[in-house]
Amino acid sequence: MDNLSAYGNKILNDYNPFKNFKLENYKYAQLHKDYISDNFSESIYDYADLLKISCQIQKADFIVTDLNSKIDQWKFNSADSYFRVSSLSHRSSLAIDLDSFTQEVLMMDVNHFDENISFTKKSNKHQTLILVTSNISDPLPRSIFFDLEQSSSLEVLQLSLSNKKSFIYFEINQSNFSKMNFLTFQSCNNHIRNEFYASLGEKCELNLLGLNFKNSFINDNFSFIQHLKPSTASNEIFKSIIDNGAITNFQGKIYVDSIAQKTDGYQMSRSLLLDSKSKANNKPELEIYADDVKCSHGSTVAKLNQDQIYYFKTRGIDEQTAKSILQKAFLFEVIESIQNKEIKDFSSKLLDNLI
Amino acid sequence: MLNINNLKVSIEEKQIIKGLDLSINKGEVHALMGPNGSGKSTLSYVLSGKEGYEIDSGSVDFNGKNLLDLEVDERSNEGLFLAFQYPMEIPGVQTSFFLKTAINAKRKYLGLEEIDALEFAKLVKSKAEELSISPDMLKRDLNVNYSGGEKKKQEILQMSLLDPVMSILDETDSGLDIDALRVVSEGVNKLRNKDNSFLVITHYQRLLNYIKPDFVHIISDGKIVKSGDFSLALELEEKGYEEVSKTV
Repeated sequence: MDNLSAYGNKILNDYNPFKNFKLENYKYAQLHKDYISDNFSESIYDYADLLKISCQIQKADFIVTDLNSKIDQWKFNSADSYFRVSSLSHRSSLAIDLDSFTQEVLMMDVNHFDENISFTKKSNKHQTLILVTSNISDPLPRSIFFDLEQSSSLEVLQLSLSNKKSFIYFEINQSNFSKMNFLTFQSCNNHIRNEFYASLGEKCELNLLGLNFKNSFINDNFSFIQHLKPSTASNEIFKSIIDNGAITNFQGKIYVDSIAQKTDGYQMSRSLLLDSKSKANNKPELEIYADDVKCSHGSTVAKLNQDQIYYFKTRGIDEQTAKSILQKAFLFEVIESIQNKEIKDFSSKLLDNLI
Repeated sequence: MLNINNLKVSIEEKQIIKGLDLSINKGEVHALMGPNGSGKSTLSYVLSGKEGYEIDSGSVDFNGKNLLDLEVDERSNEGLFLAFQYPMEIPGVQTSFFLKTAINAKRKYLGLEEIDALEFAKLVKSKAEELSISPDMLKRDLNVNYSGGEKKKQEILQMSLLDPVMSILDETDSGLDIDALRVVSEGVNKLRNKDNSFLVITHYQRLLNYIKPDFVHIISDGKIVKSGDFSLALELEEKGYEEVSKTV
């Protein structure tokens, strides 16, 4: 957290929404209304289903771990260097050194996981982390930290596919020359909120993508990306498709410090509403103190284009199929922006299964 | 093939087509010519089944079926094809994927199995070559950043792949340069046979030099005011719509 600006720290200190739900950052989240009461039921997506999709990734060195079931075993196994329980860190009860894994693709199930987790990446070895974060049993936010050391790189896919409430707080600290690609894939039928706090060191790159498909209740993404050093780049694209009176929220700020010259910041949030009952609240924000930067943001809320559907139908394609194809096309920009092949294939297949 | 009987159509209470009769038989090519606002495009949309048009009276028989009762996609699968004046751009949908989906929709309707991937690739390649469509274009998003000529070629490619019995070409010549016009016309001429029919909607006689019609109709104020053979198109070009319509 040393990297954060004073302003960032202030925002962090305010982060407990249960005390501060009147804050602007929680304006649309409606946490006070319906978050506290939790309902415990099974996940929409069977873990086995996810595995089936993930196994289609033709990777020999693929590991799947259920953190919850393995945690006790790993905690006390001194011979195992995968996990070390950090008592030094004030912010994390479990620290995971990603470089200690030889596997290129790691899948970790943090369902029902009650602790904060801190991931550290030191090398630029190609590594993909798939986090199944659904079903966090406690309604209080869980924190997941990523510390990328100098010149390191990491790919993350977060899967939020349950019908449990979930509130996760991600903090991404990038040291100089590091690169992070993060995709959050959300398709839940309960209230979910993700908060992303990122701070970028010199010449860092962050790609933060969001793919929200038919979350049936409230789906809420908040991001605060801080460009704190010169020559950093962030690229943020969030897309949502909703129907049946669901609500999708996106609030994102790009903050550029006065010394962060040559910042390249891009933010796009688009929502597609399939009916008139559903609602989208998009709030893009820029806060820039440097004078030599390139920052842009955009936001759209739209319905399916009836003329496009008509065009499909004149080619013999039925309405339902046309709508499915157009929905996938809407999300295609996000899929195309995924640089990592494994995550791209996985997300594309998952989407095919959902649509 | 297609029998339009005293058709009257309104948009938002305003009547656009005011009692139109047209009969097209198997193997015939009809040209429909008329000034702006005469109801040409409206007729093509109504025949394809676009929403927003009120049928006030009249009937349309298509191969023994009541065309106006069919859904848009059913009309297409029954063999009706509309080549658009302004084809829709579909970002995020690859052209070849769209073509395959359309072919399979028709095959499903006819109770056939989905087209084999290899067979599809071969079919599209040969048809695209005939229309001098580059393989690269098939990988691009449908109609996105296509030139005017490319869009029209794409429409004709779709037409040749879906193999309709009745094709309506709505101002296919608009926005085409001379070379593209020739390619598109040749594409259409190749599809002509004794079993299928065409309704070519255009402002200009130019297109009809390439696609020779058996009959030419002049539409004015929502009605066909004059019918004849190709010489009527020549007369139009010489005298203009106003003059020729007057001589009715």
